[in-house]
Amino acid sequence: MAKPPDDDSPASGVSRRTFLKTAGVGAAATSLIGAAPGASGPAVLGPDAVPLALKINGAARTVTVEPRVTLLRALRNHLDLTGAKEICDRGACGGCTVMLDGKPIASCLMLAADAVGHEITTVEGLGTPDKMSPVQAAFVEADALQCGFCTPGFVVASTALLRQNPNPTLEQVKDGLAGNLCRCGTYSRVFEAVLKAAKATPVAGRKA
Amino acid sequence: MTQDASPKPPAPTVTYVVKAGHASAPQTLEVHAAEGDIKPWDLDSKLRVVKGRQPRLEGPLKVTGRAKYTFDISMPGMLWGKMVRATVPAAEIVKIDTSKAEKLPGVKAVWTTEARAVRFAGQDVAAVAAISPEVAEDAARLVEVTYDERPYVTDLQKAMEEGAPTVYNADQIPDSPKAPVKGNVVGPIVPRRGGQRGDIAKGLAEADVTVESTYYVPVHTHSPLETHGVIAKWEGDQLTIWASTQSVSTVREGMAEYLGIDRKNVTVITEHMGGGFGSKLGASAEGSNFSGVACKLAKQAGAAVKMMLDRHEEHLCTGNAPAALMTVRLGAKKDGTLTAIHHRSFGTAGIAGGAGTGGPSGNLYANTPNCLVEEHDVFTNAGPAAPLRAPGHSQGAFALESAIDELAEKLGLDPLELRRKNESSPVRRIQYDIGAKAIGWERRNKKAGETAGPRKRGIGMANGNWYVFARGSGVGAEVKIHRDGSVEVFQGSQDIGTGFRTAMAMVVAEELGLQTRDVTPHVGDTRWPEGVGSGGSNTTNSVAPAVRLAAHDARQKLFAIAAPLLGAKAEDLDAAGGKIFVAASPARSIGFRQAAAKMPNEVISAVAERKKQYETYRQDLAGTQFAEVEVDTETGTIRVLKVVSVNDCGIPINTLTTESQIIGAMIQGVSWALWENRILDRNVGTMVNPNLEAYKVLSSKDMFEAVAIVSEIANAGNNTSAAGIGEPPIVPTLAAIANAVFNATGARVHTLPLTPDKVLAHINAARRA
Repeated sequence: MAKPPDDDSPASGVSRRTFLKTAGVGAAATSLIGAAPGASGPAVLGPDAVPLALKINGAARTVTVEPRVTLLRALRNHLDLTGAKEICDRGACGGCTVMLDGKPIASCLMLAADAVGHEITTVEGLGTPDKMSPVQAAFVEADALQCGFCTPGFVVASTALLRQNPNPTLEQVKDGLAGNLCRCGTYSRVFEAVLKAAKATPVAGRKA
Repeated sequence: MTQDASPKPPAPTVTYVVKAGHASAPQTLEVHAAEGDIKPWDLDSKLRVVKGRQPRLEGPLKVTGRAKYTFDISMPGMLWGKMVRATVPAAEIVKIDTSKAEKLPGVKAVWTTEARAVRFAGQDVAAVAAISPEVAEDAARLVEVTYDERPYVTDLQKAMEEGAPTVYNADQIPDSPKAPVKGNVVGPIVPRRGGQRGDIAKGLAEADVTVESTYYVPVHTHSPLETHGVIAKWEGDQLTIWASTQSVSTVREGMAEYLGIDRKNVTVITEHMGGGFGSKLGASAEGSNFSGVACKLAKQAGAAVKMMLDRHEEHLCTGNAPAALMTVRLGAKKDGTLTAIHHRSFGTAGIAGGAGTGGPSGNLYANTPNCLVEEHDVFTNAGPAAPLRAPGHSQGAFALESAIDELAEKLGLDPLELRRKNESSPVRRIQYDIGAKAIGWERRNKKAGETAGPRKRGIGMANGNWYVFARGSGVGAEVKIHRDGSVEVFQGSQDIGTGFRTAMAMVVAEELGLQTRDVTPHVGDTRWPEGVGSGGSNTTNSVAPAVRLAAHDARQKLFAIAAPLLGAKAEDLDAAGGKIFVAASPARSIGFRQAAAKMPNEVISAVAERKKQYETYRQDLAGTQFAEVEVDTETGTIRVLKVVSVNDCGIPINTLTTESQIIGAMIQGVSWALWENRILDRNVGTMVNPNLEAYKVLSSKDMFEAVAIVSEIANAGNNTSAAGIGEPPIVPTLAAIANAVFNATGARVHTLPLTPDKVLAHINAARRA
């Protein structure tokens, strides 16, 4: 399960799933981070809460959590950043999507400890109600939301998609949002919003 | 009642003449509204705001992640609750040992059930409250429950067999059914609305042609993305509950009763709500008392307790749409005139009743002289059902509307022509033309499956019905105009994602001559004037008339202030574009804000009560859908290309969000038709797919072209002419898809979901035939 380490993988290379699989309930309180090649061994954290220095929406934030706490729960329950939602809690719905170094990830599948050293962008970092990003504004205008619970995940995924592909086709939008579920049924309005946001922003110097 | 001999004097009424119906066929109608009610909007009304396309006002909060849902709220010292649920489908609880959980550091309160009988895997057994969700989850795993397991049955057809394990003893059956009970089966139940007309045997005997088929629809879980849950907080004897609910008033009533406290001591707040689809109409959920348990844990711990269910629990105990096995018999003359509709269904709502599916059969094609609907509830050891978007109607329409198609095939008639011939609603006649044009009905295969090649396209259609439900009294609204010209509207009902709050602001803006963004709506709070539970598609039509009356009253008060400033009488004034002016000479005007600045007090407050419902153009809501699909006949995979939904909801307040609801219903319907299926393991009685990856719902890649068309109809028996839209558009979808698959392939699949295995089997059977 653990991916070979590369620049995009969590520092430890330990996903939440493998982590939970290998750790028992009572023992699920340690995490391996800061493994440095050539060092005598990985530092073991926990089981008690440890301070973690995170970089979220461009600001340095310190959060003190048990090492088993997911990035999603650290954001929601310890930093009051509740835009990312806990919906399926196993990476199936995209409701917890945040960007890690600019790429969308399921924050329910990553330990907060593994996010140390990475740039985290949440939906709150993309815009404010008074100064929405083009994607956010397009969502409102197209009514690409109903209950709105899935919406932050869609907004983050759409933003990441447009940064990667500023002029997507409808099919590419569908592909880019394939990891996000909506139960009220807003997909077609979401596609409309994303295509509209793509059109509204000139490609050069675009900030989706 | 009989002792009261003196008849009640008739309530005074005021008569209005309205232009009713559809614009293409208007009709003059005299209506008798309660005294004090104002003339309803009709086809002649010059509406400036209402009927527009207004993005929802809370949109900026939601797209930036600032909207705080119940799941997002936390407060200092708050604890996290976690329920322990039965892991077996039928048992007596011998022992619940919470000692290990209690000893875990961070655990602050523990609850155990007094009930001993377990009837489904997922029932409440015990609960804990702890300092973090992680510790609460640990503690819940430390609770040890000893069960004396009993025989169980989870399958609908097995539960109907003689000698099947019974879910209830005869004296334990909930809601004391008024129908015969045999084992797990209650029925036949003949529904009150449209259950019986004429003589079904006679109608079938008179027929030139009959068809009979049996259809099956599996359990569909609501799966709102925000799970059920509450935060309960006590301050002395005052209880505040933040709830993810479709009815703040029901949570208040339910918790007051459960806890034995006064309703006035309970406040329930739902500012933003992450979906319900009918499953959140109760005080907790159909299969769990989590609200009550959270309140008790909070009392015990002396701290606020947040109890949000997880995804697994959401599937098990918060309700679902019943599975149903339905046999439909139709009789018709050679020319297609229906002589008989017979609908016999066996549905299972798990441990609950209410699995009837006969609504469409009893109410569509109402000119059919002979009709009989016989429903049966079958108990199984599974989580109880809950109302889901037009309860029972999607299942029932799948059976009836598939059978209508089978009849058309047998008679050699175009399915649309057969429906037209038997149509009883003038509204749906109009909708047929609109929908057929939008899908290109003439493109359909004249002979099913005639397209060459392995990928075959087809077009089908189906009808759905729903009703005008509205609460005619006990609903209020308050409108405030402040001296600075700002306007607020207060209403207790919650916005469950429908756009209700925006619609209410639009009604106020219309009445006061303002723009929607000038009005701040406050909803979802039992401290505001009383609202309704959002069920039966009744929120807007119950509430909007009270909001309009309150706004009208506030307007009259402001006109009284403006009149002397304009040298006119208040009754000669009008308001539009942010100005108050003399209707006969609009140049004589004053700005809304300038008029408000002359108020003697800080605020004008107007409170109004909903007046009674009165005569409507139609008592039912019409809807029809057309679908185009492509079926890969080598793999059995269905791709839905396009669905057109034409619906009536009176006068739509906000056309944009009305369309969104229709699109959403089509999507949920397609998802149900193609994939959704709660699977219970027959060997252990637990759910196999309690998640969002194996319980497959429609996603972006499956998305089709969704066309929502609102066929505006005046009037709906209230001063705004609004009716509901949340439910009706999901009723026809299952059948429309199945009928399109038949048109594409010639394969008639009677069992949902239309997964490739079934589709392939039927294609092969059709080839052999």
